[in-house]
This record gives sequence, C-alpha cells and structure tokens, in this order.
Amino acid sequence: MSDPTKQFFADLAARGHVPLLKSSSGTLRFDLAGGGRTAHWYVTIEKGDVSVSHDTAEADCVVRSGKELFDRMAAGTANATSAALRGLVATEGDLRLIIQFQRLFPGPPRTCADRGEAGYARRPT
Amino acid sequence: MSDDLVKILEGNTFVVSDERGDIEASLTDPTGLFSFDTRFLSKWVLTVDGQRLNALSTDDLQYFETRFFLVPGTGTVYIDAKLSVIRQRAVGDGFHEELTLLNHDETAVDLEVRVEAASDFADLFEVKDALQKKGAYYSRVEEDRLVLGYERETFSRETWIAATSPCKVDESGLTFRVHIEPHGEWTTDLHVVTANAAWGETRDRPKYERHAKAARPNLEYGLEKWLDDAPKLQSDWEWLKMIYTRSLVDLAALRFAPMTSGGRSLPAAGLPWFMTMFGRDSIFTSLQALPFTPELAATTLRELGERQGSRCDDFRDEDPGRILHEMRYGEMTAFEERPHSPYFGSVDATPLYVVLLDEYERWTGDAKLVRELEYEARAALAWIDDYADLMGDGYIWYQRRNEKTGLENQCWKDSWDSISYHDGTLPGFPRATCELQGYAYDAKMRGARMARLIWKDPAFADKLEKQAADLKRRFNRDFWVEEGGYFAIARDTDGRKVDALSSNIGHLLWSGIVDKSKAKSLARHLMSSRLYSGWGVHTLAEGEGRYNPIGYHVGTVWPFDNSIAAWGLRRYGFKEEAARIAAGILDAANFFAGRLPEAFGGYPRAITKYPVQYPTSCSPQAWSTGTPLLLLRTMLGLEPIGEHLVVDPALPQGIGRLELLDIPGRWGRVDAFGRGRVDVDKKPRARQQLGVLGYEKRARNRARKS
Repeated sequence: MSDPTKQFFADLAARGHVPLLKSSSGTLRFDLAGGGRTAHWYVTIEKGDVSVSHDTAEADCVVRSGKELFDRMAAGTANATSAALRGLVATEGDLRLIIQFQRLFPGPPRTCADRGEAGYARRPT
Repeated sequence: MSDDLVKILEGNTFVVSDERGDIEASLTDPTGLFSFDTRFLSKWVLTVDGQRLNALSTDDLQYFETRFFLVPGTGTVYIDAKLSVIRQRAVGDGFHEELTLLNHDETAVDLEVRVEAASDFADLFEVKDALQKKGAYYSRVEEDRLVLGYERETFSRETWIAATSPCKVDESGLTFRVHIEPHGEWTTDLHVVTANAAWGETRDRPKYERHAKAARPNLEYGLEKWLDDAPKLQSDWEWLKMIYTRSLVDLAALRFAPMTSGGRSLPAAGLPWFMTMFGRDSIFTSLQALPFTPELAATTLRELGERQGSRCDDFRDEDPGRILHEMRYGEMTAFEERPHSPYFGSVDATPLYVVLLDEYERWTGDAKLVRELEYEARAALAWIDDYADLMGDGYIWYQRRNEKTGLENQCWKDSWDSISYHDGTLPGFPRATCELQGYAYDAKMRGARMARLIWKDPAFADKLEKQAADLKRRFNRDFWVEEGGYFAIARDTDGRKVDALSSNIGHLLWSGIVDKSKAKSLARHLMSSRLYSGWGVHTLAEGEGRYNPIGYHVGTVWPFDNSIAAWGLRRYGFKEEAARIAAGILDAANFFAGRLPEAFGGYPRAITKYPVQYPTSCSPQAWSTGTPLLLLRTMLGLEPIGEHLVVDPALPQGIGRLELLDIPGRWGRVDAFGRGRVDVDKKPRARQQLGVLGYEKRARNRARKS
C-alpha cells in the first residue's frame, strides 16, 4: 500500500490486543495535516485492547503532526521522540499515552539483522 | 566543577552561578540556567552604577533556593559599604529572583541597577564537547519583556525575562532607575522563564514567586515528610547519623519525577548534569535504598518499563525488551546528532530490571506490581536470550551498533580502558564481562521465583531455573582463572579469559553465580592488599597492567561498587569481610562530610591517611548516595525471608551499637538492633575511626610477636 499511515492504522486495528499497551487506557486523537486538509484518526485503548476509527470522540491526548512525517514514523524512517523535540509533533493532554503509543512504530528498515551482523545475536547452531 | 560554584535545582532545571549569583559562561564553561538539557541563560550579571558586586556570604536555603548577600565594589580586605544587595533565587521552570537594595546611608541615593542577560542555548553535550551551534539567535523586546531565542529549522527555545518594577528593557538586559531614601530599601522581582523547554508547551511565569509558599509543596515540604517516613537510626558511632541523614537528604534532592509519573519520583543519576532517567543508575540506587524508601524502586520499575525497547534501532542500540540507558531532551538529541531519545546502550540494565522487581516484591509484598509488570519482566528475560547473546554461546555480550555516537563499553565500567587482560592489552568486541553473566543468572533465578509464586507459570519457572543452573555451571568453568583463584573480568571472542583481577568479582558474589567452593578465594582476593586499600576495594587490582590508583575504572575506589561487594560477601557468609568493607567506606564518607563522591583514589590508606577525591563533575552522585544505605543493610544483615525480616548483624570494629527503627516492608514496620565491638585504638580527642585502627593494631601485635 502506498499510504504507510493508513497501513499502520489498519494493522493496528487488525491486531486488536496489543500487550505493549496493556497498562494504558484512553483515547488518542491524531491530527495529520497534509494536502490542504487534516485527517483525524482516533485510537481508543482499553487495557491493551485497541480500536481505530475516524469518529469524533473525546480525546485524552491530541497529537498533531504533518501527514508526511507520520508516514515516515509509520514506516520506521522517522523517530517520534526526536521529531517531537524538534517541534514537529505537538501533543496535548495525557503525555503518558503517546509515550506508550510511539513504541508501536517500527524501527528503521534494516537489512543486516538476520545475517549475524556486528551487534546482533547469533543463534546457536 | 569547582566547589565555590553555587548550584540549585528542581527536577532537571538548575542554575550554576558564581558566589555573587552571576553567570558568565563560555561555551565549555558549565555555568548557567539549564532545563531539559539546554542552557537558557549563559549570562546573568548584576551591576549597580556600572559596578560589579562582591559576595559577603551565600546562604543555601534549600537545594532549589539560595540567597546571596552582596556589596558594591571589588573585593578588598575592608568593606565599608553604604549599600547592600540581596538576591534570593528559587529555581523552577526557570527561576524567580528577588532583588533587594538596602541604603544604609543618611542621605538618599539614586542608582542605576542593570541586569545583563544572554543565552547561547547550548545543549549539555555541546558544553561537554565544545561544539558550535548550527542555528540562529535572536532577541527582541516585547512590551516589558526581553525574549532571548534560538532557532534551527523547527526547533526553537526561548527565555523570557521580565521584572515587576518599571525598567527599561533592551535586547541585552534590563535597566532600573532607582531612588532610595535614607535607610530605605528598594526591591523588585525578576522572572526568568524557560518558555518552551522541550515539548512545545509554553509557559510565561516561573514556578515560584515571592512569598508563594503554597506554590512549593513538592520539594521543600516534601523533604520533611521524606525524612519522617525513613527509618530512624541510632548509633554510638555518632558520625553514622550524620552520614545517614546526608544520604537521605541527598537522595531527596536526586529525586526526579518524569512527566509521565504523576508526580512520583525515581532517583536520577547525579546532580546536576545527570538529572535524568538512567537505567543502570536508577536501578542500582533503588536497590540500595529499598529498605528505606521502597517507593523509589516502584517508580523506577514503572517508568523504565513504559519506555522499554520495542523495536530494533541501530542508532539507539535499541532492541525489543531492552531497558533504556539514558534519556535526553536537548538540540543534539532532537536532531539525532546524539542517540539519547532514549539511548539503550547498556547491557546490564535489562537483567538488573528483573532483579530489582523481584527484590522489591520480597521487601514490600507488592505482588500487584509484579503482576502489572509481568509483560515487561518477561520481555527483559527474553532479551537476554534473544538479543544479548551475540556469540550464540549462552553468555551476555555487548557491541554497539551505533559506531559513531554509541557507547563502546556498555557495562558500568564504561571508560575505554576499563576491560583489560593482565598484561594491559585490551580485548576486541564483542565483550562478555563477568558481572553481566552474574546479573543474567540472578535475573533468571528471580524471574523463576516470580513465575512460580506470582505469575503462576511453573513451566516457565522450571525453564528459567534450568537455564540458570546451566549458565552457572558453564560460567564457573569458562571464566575461572585457575592459577589465580578468581574469575576473569571478561571473556573474549576466541573464548579466551580476559584475565585481569578486578572488583567485578564482588558483583559475582552478589549475583549468586559463584560456586560455593570458589567463594572463599574471592573473599580473600577482595580483602587482599592487591584489591583492598584500607578504604575500599579498588576497581582493578594492583599488579595488573593498567592499574593506576587514580584511573577512573582501573584503580579508583567506587563506593557503590563496594556496597555491592559487601552485599555479595554477606550472601556467601563472609560477615567480617563485609563489615570491614562497610567500615572503610563509612570512614571515608566521614572525611567527605557524609557525602561520598562517585570515586576516590585507590592509594593505600596507610600512605595517604585520608581518601583522595577523584575530580568529578557530579555531586551528589546517586549510587554513592545510596551506598551508606546498603551498607547499613549489610551491617545489620537485613534479609526478607517469607513474611519476615531476618536480622543478623555483624558490625565493624568501632561501632558498638546500631539501631535502625521502623524499617518498612511486608511486615509493616520493624526494628533492627546490632551490637558490636568498640575496642579501637582511640587516643584522647582523636577521631574515632572505624575498623582500621583495630585492624592495624592486630597486625602490629602479630608483627611484634613473630
């Protein structure tokens, strides 16, 4: 799919339960601006059970960023924390939710991981 | 950092100034107003009629508040000032400064009071490494406010400066025209605000203002409750009370509440430069302080758990399950010129996380937290096997994947030359240092206990115990230096032993990985003249190629390291040896007025007579602050067994009586008492030292007899 953001949220919705978020509850609203419009995504977490929608709801944490940046975070090529420190991601409300949530973004695409490169575990043969 | 600098702080906001309260920093000079790892003021200079002021005295009211008493003119022997100046400063979201001028003359005066302000917005890393800025500065006057700013692309930081009295604001400061009647006074409030420190929210006032006592509940009043909640100590060695109180007060100052913790605190690593979350330091300090302030451990576990690694990221040396090393908020982190967002490059924090969780439950009975953090603990245990075994041989190894800005040595001895062979040569990477294997063993054993008793997963418990037993068997074979009778500091990639004798063997005793039959030899080494200076065990043994009594990790004595060694010696039944370690370190603490430095020289006590401080930038240092606390535990032999606290005291020579009252835990509150020997060589009016005199006396007697 050419839209990493859409793909990211679709994958998240498909997972249903995310153990990483098991101690989180609340609703995040993502306002992603791009192409002259702002898309709203709502992620509701109930002790790790996750649902995704575009419906208007009361949000505990609002996250604003550019759509293009979010695409890169969803693809693992941009890091949410350093982007926030650069002023590219604005947050409002329960910071704990977004600190938990950003851990769902993938790491940078790698090619070396499974080839026993330096710094990666070797599997016993 | 020189000691005549005045430091005050709250959270990660702190001010370092000279004794007049002035700041005049060059890029590499560590003075200024800092917040979230950025310098918000590099210049803050007060003049009266163009003259600098002169300090009469400085009064540290609290760790977040200071008062400076000043007079005009440069320092001379005799000062006959008709004017005095008082600056009272409280830190919090910037700082609030109450500026007061008193006219002692019989005639009225007209004065020009000026505050010069500027900021270089340096990142802490830039201060450390003298790097040049890449962005642009601006400063502008907005109504009655001076705005100092810095911008680089979308990154911006601003300092807002304003006063409550009429003044002329220009782009480099504030000027007041002041008229003071005979014996009158003039006063104003200066507000310096770190307007946008890290996450984009803007504030326009500092946290504390004049007389706003109600607005400062968290630290000042918190301190009283903090001291009140801690166990009470009584001892006939009177300095122990002073050392104990110093530790508690310093630990209070080191409390750091992350923005997500709901106001709960964990121990930061050091003051002021390391007022941030550190995996290793926060965990070790929480362990040391468990019998005294168990809530620190709970917050450490929760906050580190919430930031546990979730993906592979080479730049940050992150893996799923890994516990972070260090978090930073400055410009270089923002632009990924440094990996601290957060950085995960430590290899011990992850097993130690599991160790702390188990130890915390054993003390507090808080099984709920162990259930809450089951996922995190399992992920940490899985990381040991899945990500840390770089050679596929069942040991924990480390090798940074971030070759440019990552840490080379990811164990606590993290300087470049800390891990060496006997002949002084350095092994290549990856490296498997010995204490890591001990931590992994302990994590598996403790993980098994939690799995069996709390997670109700006996199969997982069995698996962990089997792995642990196997690790112990192999370790005792593969790391043991037969001819020396000790464990090598590390193993290299060829399977060779990195055969230097080091203080790491103390950590091995603590972890429990050591075969009983080998423990005695380790205890003997720890107390030998090659490792024990009389003050403490030094990091590397005398006679090793790289030994240097003032080498950071190759010969100095680290109080924290010693507290772990004492704990390890107790674990294997070496009570007297543990007591001697406690004696030396506590006696050293007495020389440092109760505040142990990060490290001090490894020179033999018989030669130097006093412990030689190693120059270090942070004081207090968290795990040095925690050291006396852990030593109290080891001297009293406190050990939670089931629902009870077992007390098995072994006091060093010089302490006749030691009482610790109201020790909190799953038992409610209990008291512990210890009685010991006091037959030290005490000359009239001489300071009663711990341990060493009696020890030397015995040695002398033995020498005389033979």
